[in-house]
Amino acid sequence: MRLTRKQFLGGAAAGALGAAGIYELVDQLAESPPRAEAGELAEEQYLLSGMKLLTHEGVEVIEPPLHHQVVTARLAVDERRSDLREAQRALEAALAAIERRYDPNPAGLAVTVAWGLPYFRRVVPGPADRHLPIDRRASTSADRRVSAVLDAIRFPSDPETTILEDNEVAFLLRSDEREHVADAAASLFADTDGLFELTSIRKGFQGGGFSGGAGLPKAMATAAGIQGADLIPEGAQLFLGFTSTQKATQGQSRISSFETLGLVDVREGYFRGGTHMHLSHLFENVEAWYLDFDFRDRVDTTFRPGFQAREGAQTLKQDAEAAASEDDLRGDFRQHGAIGHSGSIQPTSRLHMDIRGADGDLYRKGSAIPLRADFNTLDNPFFWTSDPDRDRHSEQPDAGLHFISFNPSSDDFRRNRLAMDGVLPDGTRLPLQARSRAQGLNSVLRTTHRQNFVVPPRSRRSFPLVEQLR
Amino acid sequence: MRRALCIALLALVAAGCSLDDDGVEGRASAGAPTPACPAAWKPGWQQLANDVGTRVYCPSWMPSPIDAEIGGQWNSDGVIVDEDKSYLAGFLWHEAGSGDVHVNFRGYPGRSAVPRCRDGKRSIPCFSDVRGTRKVGGKTVTVYTVSRDADQWHVTYLWRENGTLYTVSEHVAPPLTFQRVLANLDRIVGGLEAIEPQSA
Repeated sequence: MRLTRKQFLGGAAAGALGAAGIYELVDQLAESPPRAEAGELAEEQYLLSGMKLLTHEGVEVIEPPLHHQVVTARLAVDERRSDLREAQRALEAALAAIERRYDPNPAGLAVTVAWGLPYFRRVVPGPADRHLPIDRRASTSADRRVSAVLDAIRFPSDPETTILEDNEVAFLLRSDEREHVADAAASLFADTDGLFELTSIRKGFQGGGFSGGAGLPKAMATAAGIQGADLIPEGAQLFLGFTSTQKATQGQSRISSFETLGLVDVREGYFRGGTHMHLSHLFENVEAWYLDFDFRDRVDTTFRPGFQAREGAQTLKQDAEAAASEDDLRGDFRQHGAIGHSGSIQPTSRLHMDIRGADGDLYRKGSAIPLRADFNTLDNPFFWTSDPDRDRHSEQPDAGLHFISFNPSSDDFRRNRLAMDGVLPDGTRLPLQARSRAQGLNSVLRTTHRQNFVVPPRSRRSFPLVEQLR
Repeated sequence: MRRALCIALLALVAAGCSLDDDGVEGRASAGAPTPACPAAWKPGWQQLANDVGTRVYCPSWMPSPIDAEIGGQWNSDGVIVDEDKSYLAGFLWHEAGSGDVHVNFRGYPGRSAVPRCRDGKRSIPCFSDVRGTRKVGGKTVTVYTVSRDADQWHVTYLWRENGTLYTVSEHVAPPLTFQRVLANLDRIVGGLEAIEPQSA
C-alpha cells in the first residue's frame, strides 16, 4: 500500500506525539511534587490551578509542572460552514473528555488551545474583523486601529534566519506526569482525526532541585551530552542557572488577560477571559554562558549591572517595590555600557501605578504583567516537524528554551522584547550591538522560530467564531 | 587483531606519542619513568627560567597535536615576558572548521593575588568562578572556569609556590569537551618538571 505524504506525515506525527525520547529520563530524575487540589475550571484556560508555592533562598517561587508539550497544526477540515461547526463540536468533545479524565492542575493535566492569525484570516475573516480585541494603547500610539494580536516580528537581536511561523493552532499540554501528556495528546488527535495536519511537536521540562539534587536542567543536559552541561549549577531550575518562576516576576491572577488592565478593548466581549500568547524557540549556548560569563557577569546580565547577589545564588528577589524604571535602565547604560535582562524589561513589564483590574482585583504598582510558561528543551529545534528542511531539524539534542509568554497584547510583548535589545517605548535606542556582551543574555541566545497566537476563553477555545459564520 | 594493535601502539610510542586511558593521543617524552620535560623542549624552558629569574614548569605531556617547544611550530609568538617578569607561553593548534587545541602557561613571580584584567573601563579578576580544588602531581590547584584575555574560554588551574603564582589553562572548544579539558589539565599539571634558573 502506498502512503500519501499527508498520510505518512500523519503516521509519523502520531508516533512522535506519544514517544518520550530523551524526556523519558525526566521521570527517572525527578519526583512529582505534591500539588494542591485542583480548583474549578476557569474561563481563563491559560491559567493553571493547584500550583505549588514554595520558598527557595528566601524567595517565593511557583513550582511549574515537570512535563510540557506544544503541538502546532494547520487545519485539514473543509472550509464549509457545516464542516467547521462539526469540527468545532468534535474538538470541544475531545477536550471535554480529557478534562473529565484529569484534574486541571499539574498532578492532572492542563490543556491550553491557542489560535494563530492565519486561522482567523482564512477561516473566519468576517467575524474576526468584528471580534478580535483591539489594543487601545498601541492604537493611540499609532493613531490607527491596532489589533491586540499581531504577526510576530524579528527583533533587533534575532538572526535573519529566525522563522516567523504561520501555524493555525497550537495546543499546550502541561503536567507532572508524562503519561498524562502523552495520553491526552494521542487521544486529542485521535478523537479529532482528520481535522488537523500537525506541523510540529515540541517537548521539554522544567524543574529545579528545589528540594535537593542536581535538578532537571543539569541532569538532562548531562545525559544528552550537551557541551557545558557540567558547568550548570546543581539544583538550577533552568539551563542558565537562575530561577524564572519567582511569584513576583509572574503575572498574578488575571492580569495577563486581554481586558484586565484596560489596555485592550474586547469589543462585544467574545474574547473576554482570553489573552495573547507568544511562542518561540531559542537555542542557549550553555558552554559560552558559563565559560565566558562569571557569576558576577551572569547576575549583571540576567538582572541588572551591580544587582546584589550572594555568590552562587539561583533565586534572586525581584519584588514589585524594587522594579527598575526607565531612568534606572538609562542610568545602567550610562554607568556600565550594558543593560541587564530583568532591568531592561521591568520598565515595560511592570505596572507603573496601582490598577483596579476589570476582574475587580487590585494590582499593585510594580506587579508583573506577563505570565511566562516557558520550559527547557533538548529539541533541535523541535521534537518532530513536518518540514525538517525548513526548520533545520536534527536528532542531535541541543539546549534550548521553548519560550511562552502570555501578555494582554502582542504590542505589550513587543515592548518588553524590544527593551531587551535596548529599544525603549519612546523609540530611544540605546547603542547596543546585537547579541553583544552588553546585551547580556542575548549574546548566548539564538531564536529560531516565533509566532503570536490568540488564546480564547475556555468556552470559546474550539474553532472560535465558527458559529458566527453565515 | 590484538597483535596489530600492539604494533600500532609501539609505533606511536616510538614516534614520541602516548595514549590516554581512553585512547586520546598526546605528545610525551617517550618511556620516561618519571615526568620529565622532553629534551627538545627543555632549552626553551630553561631560557625562560633564566629570563624571569625564578622556577618555571615545563610539561612532560601535551594534548595532540601540539607540543610545548618554545619557539616551535605551535608557539609562533614565543614567550611574552612583561617588565614585572610575569610571562605567558601559549601553544596553539587551530584549524578552521575543526577547532582549537590551545594551552597557556603563565607565571607571576613575586605575586600571590589573582591578577586583574581590563574589561572596558572595569578592572576584573583574570580568573573567576572557582570550581573547587584538586590535588594534582603533589600540587593543590584551584580550578577556575572563567578566564580572560589570552585565556578566554579556557579552564585554568592555578597554584602558588614560593611566592609565585602559576597557571596552566586550556581552551574548551571542539574537539574538546569540558571533561576532556579537565583530564588534559590533570595530566599536564601532573607531569610538570620544575626548571630552576641557572646563573650565567
